[in-house]
Amino acid sequence: MAAFDFAIDRPENIEAILNGLDRYNPETTATFQEYVAQQCENQTYDCYANLALLKLYQFNPHLARDGTITNILAKALTVFPSADFSLCLSLLPVYTLVPAQNGVPPASGSLAEAVQHLSKLHDQLTSAGYADFWNTFEGDDLYADLVADVQGFEEVMKVRIAVVVSQCMQEVQRDVLEGWLNVSGAKFDHFVSEVCGWKIDGATVRVPLNKENEARSTLVRENVKFDQFGRLIKRAYEQPA
Amino acid sequence: MHNCTRATTSFCRVTRGIRPSTPNMSVRQAPAYQQAQPERPLDDDSDVEEEALANDYRQQVGYTDGEGEDYGLERTDSLSSGPQDLQAQLQAAAQPLEYQATIETKIQSYDQYCNLFHFILNSEGPVDIEVPSPFWAWDVVDEFIYQFQSFCSYRQKVALQQATTQVNEEDVAVLRENPNTWGCYSVLNVLYSLIQRSQISEQLAARKRNEDPAPYMGEYGGRPLYQMLGYFSIIGLLRVHCLLGDFALALKTLDDIELNKKAMFARVTAANFSTYYHVGFSYMMMHRYADALRAFNHILIYISRTKNFQKGQQYDSIAKKSDQMYALVAICVAFHPTRLDDTIHTALREKYGEQLARMQRGGPEALPVFEELFRAACPKFISPTPPDFDNPQLNVDPIEHHLSIFMKEVKNNMFASTVRSYLKLYTTMDITKLAGFLEVDAETLRSWLLVNKQRSRQVRHTEGPLLEGEIVSANDLDYAMQGDLIHVAEQKVGRKFTEYFLRNCTRMY
Repeated sequence: MAAFDFAIDRPENIEAILNGLDRYNPETTATFQEYVAQQCENQTYDCYANLALLKLYQFNPHLARDGTITNILAKALTVFPSADFSLCLSLLPVYTLVPAQNGVPPASGSLAEAVQHLSKLHDQLTSAGYADFWNTFEGDDLYADLVADVQGFEEVMKVRIAVVVSQCMQEVQRDVLEGWLNVSGAKFDHFVSEVCGWKIDGATVRVPLNKENEARSTLVRENVKFDQFGRLIKRAYEQPA
Repeated sequence: MHNCTRATTSFCRVTRGIRPSTPNMSVRQAPAYQQAQPERPLDDDSDVEEEALANDYRQQVGYTDGEGEDYGLERTDSLSSGPQDLQAQLQAAAQPLEYQATIETKIQSYDQYCNLFHFILNSEGPVDIEVPSPFWAWDVVDEFIYQFQSFCSYRQKVALQQATTQVNEEDVAVLRENPNTWGCYSVLNVLYSLIQRSQISEQLAARKRNEDPAPYMGEYGGRPLYQMLGYFSIIGLLRVHCLLGDFALALKTLDDIELNKKAMFARVTAANFSTYYHVGFSYMMMHRYADALRAFNHILIYISRTKNFQKGQQYDSIAKKSDQMYALVAICVAFHPTRLDDTIHTALREKYGEQLARMQRGGPEALPVFEELFRAACPKFISPTPPDFDNPQLNVDPIEHHLSIFMKEVKNNMFASTVRSYLKLYTTMDITKLAGFLEVDAETLRSWLLVNKQRSRQVRHTEGPLLEGEIVSANDLDYAMQGDLIHVAEQKVGRKFTEYFLRNCTRMY
């Protein structure tokens, strides 16, 4: 895996801003915002740059754009179970996450409402409640608005869930997987066999073996380096017994 | 007060200041507090010029807007003290403020720092001053950031109390009127300017390539004063980013510094400790528990080995901070069971044995323990912007914010250890049967298994910059599901002979 601060599709001008002090310059906000829009459109992702934008918002709250913030969070959902979503939350205004003292839910249309909604999705994803995730997602019209800018959000989420499944399972019941992926019937057959390349065998879906889902016992052996013996050899050489 | 009117201009001046091409210091903001200082320039005896400077000074005090580009003249304020005063200033900069310092003292202290750094950075050419002690640079940077943090915390506290109880209205008024005092842009500006002036990053990069750093030093970088200030500003930045909740950037800051015993920061115990604490904490917040543990382990072993050589007061503060770090170690071990070094393990059991056992047992009962330890051990998070004094309900303690993010992760993970303890006993197991043992339904258990499996895949650092790493299976227990059947495989660690062999060989002689 590449370093956290690396993104393969990052344009040069963004790279230059990130590596210089312009990353603190409020004038670069527009450039970063455009870049977020691009990521939503092209299905690319650059967490390190998005964090830089959130930091600019953190320092200059008057520049913050709620739409961009929700787009960044929605993009971070698409790479669960990585820590990206949490890292984004850390840079958001404090009032967005912690419920207000008087317990009143956040106002409709506010940033706090959007953040808390997306946060709920994130909780369900990271606790592997994929069926719940889809229920929540489809149970409230607000979600469709929140991820509207992110091209292919649902499709990407299905693929991500499939990846997790392929890491943990060799066989899975069809009805379970249908719930997790939120597709059924012919569409399910197509997704599982064409996109994932798995086999459907009656009521079970077989996932080809890979490094992750094998569960093979291993024995970790000691790695002995020559250097460790340096002192011993030196001593033996200097004062032969 | 004049500061309100200056807020907008100083803002763009600051950002202009931190661009690489113009490392001008422009963090001074409240000249009114410096009236006690004589206005006589250090090496100037012309009356005419003095009058001009005084005029300029007056202009600045009444300054409302304008270019403010003429920094060359501004420097007269900071140069105004004689060499003896300068020594006193240098001393003072490294000294902690008294605990009960008033808000005026805190603001005054900010201005003094600004003057001092302005003098060091923007004099014509490098300044030639003798620093009071070899660790002066670290002490200054450390105290500077500490005061920044405590000022922000104080401001936050006043705003929070405002919602519930009667607070000192005068303090609120002063805070309202000085939104840019101890502002995050100023503080970052100082640190980045010191780094750039000293060209320390270039020097360190050269050293890393095994080159001679001398050609990269420039006019300033060869002088110990600038070199040390620049170097410790990097360590300071690590802390500031951590306080502001930007953990990825915190780790990125250390790109040029190699974490090992030979590094310069390792020579100052407090700096050494601070570096590893913040690196470890940042890793923890990035869910890289193995890396976090490695950082904590390293420094705790160092502290335990050297504790006999540490001096009184400094040792007390290190000991207190070590306890905090042990709390973090307990959290990381609960997330990511590992074999610890024997000394660390013993100390951990001694200090947090009961808490660790409760966290490892998992379940909802463990949540308060995680919360308690996190609160006790986290950095004193701050919010970079002044709180909203008009809408008290929007003000939330930043620590609560980070705690709630952390607790989400804990909640998702809280059944991992329960599942693991059962799986260890079997090589194959039926999901419905195990669900029966655990008194949950099969659906929930399947989710727990997926979560646990994902958690055992962790990014771990091998070499290069701190943000790099490989995904490895960080668990001694691996499993896969075949329909309703769980196949469990254990990773066994072979016996280690080398240590034993070497130890006995030396004993033979």
